[in-house]
Amino acid sequence: MSPPLDLDVLRSVAASVLELGGADEVEVVASGSITGLTRYANSGIVQNTARREVRVHVRVATGGRVASATTNQLDVKSLSAAGARARAAARATPEDHAYPGMANPAEAGVADPLLRFDQATEAATPADRAATVAALIAAAEGASSAGIVETGSHAYAVLNSHGLERFDAFTRANATCLAEVDGATGWAERSLTALEALDPEELGRRAGRAAAAARAPVAAEPGERTVVLAPPAVAGLLEYFAYTGFGAKEVIEGRSFLTRRAGQAVAAEMVTVADDVFHDASIGIAFDLEGCAKQRVAVIDRGIATGPVTDRRTARRLGLPNTGHSSGSGAWGPYAFNVVLYGGSGSLDDLVAGVDDGIFVTRFWYVNVLDRPTALLTGMTRDGTFSIRRGELAEPLHNLRFAQGVLEALSTCEGLSGTAECAVPEWGPLGSVVAPAARLGSFSFSASRGR
Amino acid sequence: MDELLQEALDAASAAGASYADARAVETRTEAIAVRGPTVEAVDASDSAGFGVRVLVDGAWGYAASALLEVAEARAVALTAVQVARASASASRHPVELVPEPVHVDIWSTPVRRDPFSVALEDKLALLTGAAEAMERVTGVHVAHAGMDLLRSVTRLHTSEGTRLVQTIIHSGAGIEATAVDEHDTQTRTYPGARGGFASGGYEVIEDLDLLGAAERTAEEAVALLRAPECPDEIATLVLGGNQMMLQVHESVGHPTELDRVLGIEAAFAGKSFVTAADAGGLRYGSELINITADATTPGGLGTFGYDDEGVAAQSIDLVRAGVLVGFQTSRETAALVGAARSNGTMRAEGWENFPIIRMTNINLLPGEGTLEDLIADVDHGFYMETNRSWSIDDRRENFQFGCEVGYEIRNGRLARLVKNPRYTGNTPVFWKSCDALAGASEWRMWGTPNCGKGQPGQTMRVGHGTVPARFIGVQVGVGR
Repeated sequence: MSPPLDLDVLRSVAASVLELGGADEVEVVASGSITGLTRYANSGIVQNTARREVRVHVRVATGGRVASATTNQLDVKSLSAAGARARAAARATPEDHAYPGMANPAEAGVADPLLRFDQATEAATPADRAATVAALIAAAEGASSAGIVETGSHAYAVLNSHGLERFDAFTRANATCLAEVDGATGWAERSLTALEALDPEELGRRAGRAAAAARAPVAAEPGERTVVLAPPAVAGLLEYFAYTGFGAKEVIEGRSFLTRRAGQAVAAEMVTVADDVFHDASIGIAFDLEGCAKQRVAVIDRGIATGPVTDRRTARRLGLPNTGHSSGSGAWGPYAFNVVLYGGSGSLDDLVAGVDDGIFVTRFWYVNVLDRPTALLTGMTRDGTFSIRRGELAEPLHNLRFAQGVLEALSTCEGLSGTAECAVPEWGPLGSVVAPAARLGSFSFSASRGR
Repeated sequence: MDELLQEALDAASAAGASYADARAVETRTEAIAVRGPTVEAVDASDSAGFGVRVLVDGAWGYAASALLEVAEARAVALTAVQVARASASASRHPVELVPEPVHVDIWSTPVRRDPFSVALEDKLALLTGAAEAMERVTGVHVAHAGMDLLRSVTRLHTSEGTRLVQTIIHSGAGIEATAVDEHDTQTRTYPGARGGFASGGYEVIEDLDLLGAAERTAEEAVALLRAPECPDEIATLVLGGNQMMLQVHESVGHPTELDRVLGIEAAFAGKSFVTAADAGGLRYGSELINITADATTPGGLGTFGYDDEGVAAQSIDLVRAGVLVGFQTSRETAALVGAARSNGTMRAEGWENFPIIRMTNINLLPGEGTLEDLIADVDHGFYMETNRSWSIDDRRENFQFGCEVGYEIRNGRLARLVKNPRYTGNTPVFWKSCDALAGASEWRMWGTPNCGKGQPGQTMRVGHGTVPARFIGVQVGVGR
């Protein structure tokens, strides 16, 4: 199988675009993916796809007028047409006096490719994925099971007319298992670079046992409770927390918690949240979609709100360093693609052992933002919510709705597990959230199903 | 392109497929975003490719490529067969399809003004004009405006003989004002948080009158900064049509997708509180409630001639006089519940994705009177409009929705403005509490351009025709 994007091929076809007449600057951002995704439900495969795709985004600037065009055809004619469309659109666009220009190699910093790439995962076949699914289903111990097994290889390149040239690639293997017994559900997931490192029997067994333990739930009283959140639940909160306000555009526009609270203590001292693609468990690339080197950025450093992630435009506007987090969209602004909450010590069981009366949450569902500047979120628990009594998991609970400010919750953080797990976004390959299990002294549940 | 699709079908059949369809999609989009006078993004995007879906040994396989060559069509078809054979190794039941007549047709969205022929300068002038008008209002910190246009041409060939060419055109735009003071940030949008979208040409955008709405939208954002929080209480709730769009989408549209009901989406999108056996018996709402899935409604984002497995567009009842009577189906799921025909809701995002059951236009049919009439009958309650946040459990029962703006209702009239209005409820309990729906003069088609479902994730454009509605005994506020 050939790689999803060949830099030599891209370099040759992009040459004509990079020398586009009538433009001051030209940038080509290309991405390619080869993905196989097998879905199973009711303990059998129900959908199964294999696809290969390329996307080339051409951005043109002339006299401070900027526009772009995108094509998925990797040939000279299509790329030239995209370049011409972008140039024509740029000429029709008013001058942007704050346009920061495209990065030259000196400004863009050093971004050696991470190449978290596993050849066997790239070469995984539909039969390999089906065998993994079969192992998951068998290990779920009689439960009705559902989920995915996905393998993919992904490559990104940025080239511009200043001579900047970037390339990086990674593979991703992702498996989930929802097990259901008598209407009760359990969950297990794993995302990493190599399919071989996935243990489908362990995932299926864990989900199946969790489902069996979750049978005959009772309703819990809403209110403020001590909680232990498993890594998928922590990741669910972090994903939306980052969305609400880690980017500098959100700070500039007054929508981020950092707008009013930068420099203040916003979480317990043990809490450090960063964008860190260099973390061993992160899945991503070494540069942003302007080609600038990614920096590790602590957004909360030992409990103190520090700085946002930036791109060229917002860094200039705020007088901050460019941290290399362009999303490739001027409308979106910079984005934290690789969020990490650094772990502490001990195990998830240790966190549970320290709770006399509380609630254990496996994961959250349909998290959404109630109030962005305060990072107030809502959502439901799902697939395994249990009481904790005297340091042990006790009776299963009906799912609970929460309404909770993330900063307030992190301010009550009492412990983080030593190991962290990687979760990947639902939409597209770029990004990851690495999270440990967490014990929070106070977490607000507003309603319970069954009550 | 026809030769390429036929080659794919022939190769799939020769390799053992009992059924195959080949679908080529060419899409052009144009997206513009401005902040005040500054252009944040102008992007024109072209995408073309094809996908081949096959049934082999009773199991599905799908493969897709952007390389539009006949040799690639053969290779992709063989990959799809290989994928299907892998599926068959771990599938539970052989897939069966209900019959559908063979269709040979050309269908296009009616358009008065081709949105791609309008000069970019004119589009930018409209958006920056609206954004600058909002920024002139004292207290507004930032103002955005945006426009999104789409044209997709889909060619579908099936091994049963269907040959379709379908051109869909969608246009949409919206504005957003954000007001900030030292304590709070409030945002107001027009005509809704997702903009105003419909199938049609540039006339859709002209009819929105963004310039005319700009100052009012900005003033409302500023007023919200000074407004008190919506109190927590059980109250009568009147919802505007835009919020009813979200209410219908989340608590009727999704729960009645038959793939969810049958557990096929369990791990990702979740299941449904209704079962296949509930059709014809489950009381879903009060007797006022009539809801259809109608792919024929003019102007809807879910309006088309045929779905992506070649089933002709239909209008079916989901809820009739408050009773659940139907589901959104595919040819496969219709067979699983013993239906004679699919009602045509299989749609895919682009060429690269496997079609899945998606809402078409899920429409709440009107009652009588006006929004003012609904409010006039309320001694004490709340009016909320324009969706801001949404969350619902994995069975589509417990929901909590937030709106941009709320008003207290006193003695039949709108009284003080309240901010951060939210309400929560249980789907069938909530719909049973509906005691009034506004009439046909208030009915409006809304578009949701960003409905997510499926793995790999697909974003679909769906429509909702709604009217304002009134509900009794609802928990509002739900603050902390």
